[in-house]
Amino acid sequence: MKLRNIFLQPTAMLMAITMLAPLAIIVVYSLLTRGAYGGVELPWTIENFTRLWDPVYGIIFLRSFWIAAVATALCLVLGFPLAMFIARSGSRKNLYLSLVILPFWTSFLIRTYAWMFLLRDTGIINSVLQALGIIREPLPLLYNDGAVILGLVYGFLPFMVLPLYATLERLDPSLLEAAADLGARPWDTLVRVTLPLCAPGIRAGAILVFVPCLGTYLTSDLLGGSKTVLIGNLVQNQFTASRDWPFGAALSLALMAVAMLLLFAARRNGEELL
Amino acid sequence: MKKGLAVYAVFAYAFLHVPLLILAVFSFNSSRFAVWQSFSLQWYRAVADDANLIESSVNSLIIAIVATLAATVIGTLAAYGIWKRGSAWLSGSLYLSLVTPEIVTGASLLALFQWIFRFAHLRLGMHTVILAHVGFSLAYVVVVVLARLRSYDRTLEEAALDLGATEFGAFWRVTLPYLTPAIAAAAMLAFTVSIDDYVITSLVAGVDSQTLPMVIYAMARRGVNPALNAVSTLVVFGLGMLIMLSERLRKT
Amino acid sequence: MNRRTFLLGAATAAACSRGARLNVFNWSDYVAPDTVPNFEREFGLRVRYGTYESIPEMLAKVMSGNSGWDVIFPSAEYIQPMRDMGLLARLNHDWLPNLSNLEQQFQQPPWDPGLDWSVPYMHGATGIVYQKSLGWEPRAWSDLWDARLAGKLTMLDDPPEVFAACLKTLGYSLNSSDPTQLKAAQQRAIAQKPLVRAYLNAEVRDQLVAGDVAVAQAWAVTAAQAIAAASERSDGVSVSKLAFSFPSEGFPRYADNVAILRESSRQEAAHRFIDYLLRPRVAAAIVETTHTAACNGAAQDYLPEALRSDPVLYPSAEILSRGEWFAPQSAAGQRLRDRLWTEIKT
Repeated sequence: MKLRNIFLQPTAMLMAITMLAPLAIIVVYSLLTRGAYGGVELPWTIENFTRLWDPVYGIIFLRSFWIAAVATALCLVLGFPLAMFIARSGSRKNLYLSLVILPFWTSFLIRTYAWMFLLRDTGIINSVLQALGIIREPLPLLYNDGAVILGLVYGFLPFMVLPLYATLERLDPSLLEAAADLGARPWDTLVRVTLPLCAPGIRAGAILVFVPCLGTYLTSDLLGGSKTVLIGNLVQNQFTASRDWPFGAALSLALMAVAMLLLFAARRNGEELL
Repeated sequence: MKKGLAVYAVFAYAFLHVPLLILAVFSFNSSRFAVWQSFSLQWYRAVADDANLIESSVNSLIIAIVATLAATVIGTLAAYGIWKRGSAWLSGSLYLSLVTPEIVTGASLLALFQWIFRFAHLRLGMHTVILAHVGFSLAYVVVVVLARLRSYDRTLEEAALDLGATEFGAFWRVTLPYLTPAIAAAAMLAFTVSIDDYVITSLVAGVDSQTLPMVIYAMARRGVNPALNAVSTLVVFGLGMLIMLSERLRKT
Repeated sequence: MNRRTFLLGAATAAACSRGARLNVFNWSDYVAPDTVPNFEREFGLRVRYGTYESIPEMLAKVMSGNSGWDVIFPSAEYIQPMRDMGLLARLNHDWLPNLSNLEQQFQQPPWDPGLDWSVPYMHGATGIVYQKSLGWEPRAWSDLWDARLAGKLTMLDDPPEVFAACLKTLGYSLNSSDPTQLKAAQQRAIAQKPLVRAYLNAEVRDQLVAGDVAVAQAWAVTAAQAIAAASERSDGVSVSKLAFSFPSEGFPRYADNVAILRESSRQEAAHRFIDYLLRPRVAAAIVETTHTAACNGAAQDYLPEALRSDPVLYPSAEILSRGEWFAPQSAAGQRLRDRLWTEIKT
């Protein structure tokens, strides 16, 4: 057998167990009836999919995609210079890279509580601003879309920085110097040389930020005060509080289908999926 | 330009580390609530006395380390395989594993395991958690490593083959060293998603495999518990020291 | 301890000495620090104590009948469903001599009148916590629609609770599954939403103490903890800046219960554990740690005066008569509520 085929075997087996078999289960669930107290029951039905055809869910889908897109764009803008800095820091690269990821080895919940402590009315930011006399009434920093996006950008920044670093790292500094010597301004170098060369990294980072952002549910609960639901909350609720697994399965299949379509649309002609 | 980047990096690192600083400070707060009172080590004593908290931290570290090692090795090989030949259904299913909401992955994996366990005398435990973690962190590894391979010059490997290297030799001596930075970044991401996962883990964990996030989510149901700040501070401090140490060793 | 229980205890210890142990799956912070260690010492059993964050999480696991857990703590409205699914073991009252310690109202609870499947453990109610500095006292759910509370009010992030408050202001049962009543309740919730700062559960505790939130719909246990934390001692009496009221239109009551899973192969040890939890001193220690009211009436004799007479934990019978227990929802009712809730949050 060819080496590359051997290399693919372990992943194929793993995906069969942890992805395809569960996917089959979700498809089956989505075609069954809700059990009285959770779980699924016969008879077969397609009602879970017809229920999706409802403006309420359309609004939630659009909102979720919008928020995920904004968070991804911000992660790219904020993450790119940081990845560039790390890629150019010579022998300290690994140290700087670890410093990016280190805060994320604490629990998500604990980190988010720390943000809440910063943002709330009696929190550090408002207290400092009030003490300095800049504001009189506390700013409403918590429980709005801004706080949700801040939480998402914070939480997913490393997922942008690391893949960007992985492609920027190989960028030959002499190439950039050559561009500069030929009279290119820094901005031109960035747009004409650097960005095209690290396009695969941008793509990878965008996927790793956008897709998990779509499924997020806790950030909007904790920092958004649960005032609006995102698609992730909706799916989560079906499997927990509402105990409607078939509808939850149908919802998530719809989400997965739309996300896959977006990815296909975003790739250039004949390009690989990943 | 270079100076600008450095200044920016200082701000970026501050942004990333502020929450860490806050939780470290509050782990030394004598009050149970998120209102500063006075310095105290009581929450560290509480952690030391809490067998559940310690055991679940150890479980989390074991799971994250094993799952990261496995996912990094398997994922790097897969990325290479996909890069060489392409495999539509493999890259498709890897991408699907990214887009599946966690609760759906968890619930369906639980159903699958329980169905299998009806025929085998097995129970949920560390093995099911590790299997699930390797499964969902694999896609992260493949995406990152593949991104670097996409900007790799195929002629380098071909040159090695022309000079008489075996296929594996060319991979091992030429391609793998080129991939190292991406593999390091991928491993860090895999470790991160594994050590922080709650939704999937809580569903596939058994009686003996409670992880730190599970204990934290259960405890935080009643609001912040400073013992959780203390244990988080300890975990990050410990891992941070390990990184520093390995950096020192690498340099000497 | 009498001779009979001692012998039973010794027999259990002998039966379980072959490396056996008991697996207890509970909410977090729901026992005193020494509850489990003392049990292990006395009965020579090892206890594996695991915690869950929500009932659905627990249910998803035990539904297979192969989870490995022995003792669980379901809420009252889940007893009947779990029984119907065949998950619970029938209790053997011969092994539970301490059952008689239960308060009168929990000897025949509506969700399990014969105590055949569950033993009531802790109970509480949902009400209103408010800052005394507010200048007026919200005494009814309808007060939570007052425009003065804009941006300073939080509601629970729990559909049955928000529907309960809205239904009660309209004079309906909180378990209603009538579409017209539920739609009217939904309109109430939508009308209230502009005033709501956030939908929060237990996290509201710290924000009440810090003063970010003026009025909150909250569980008694959260309220009791917040009130205790916001207290200052003056002249030997402790005065809190927070207070709690049981809404005049009526309010939800909740109870958690102990039950044994049918899959458990350690039925006898599990019964011993439940009987141990029913001891007055054990239950009193748990009340002191958790600030929750025990269903164990005999435990009250061992409580400090401040807790025993705490009006949040142990309100008068007259107040309690306004309470209504949550009941299981029909599939159709649950689905309608879910749909209406999604609309509230869109």
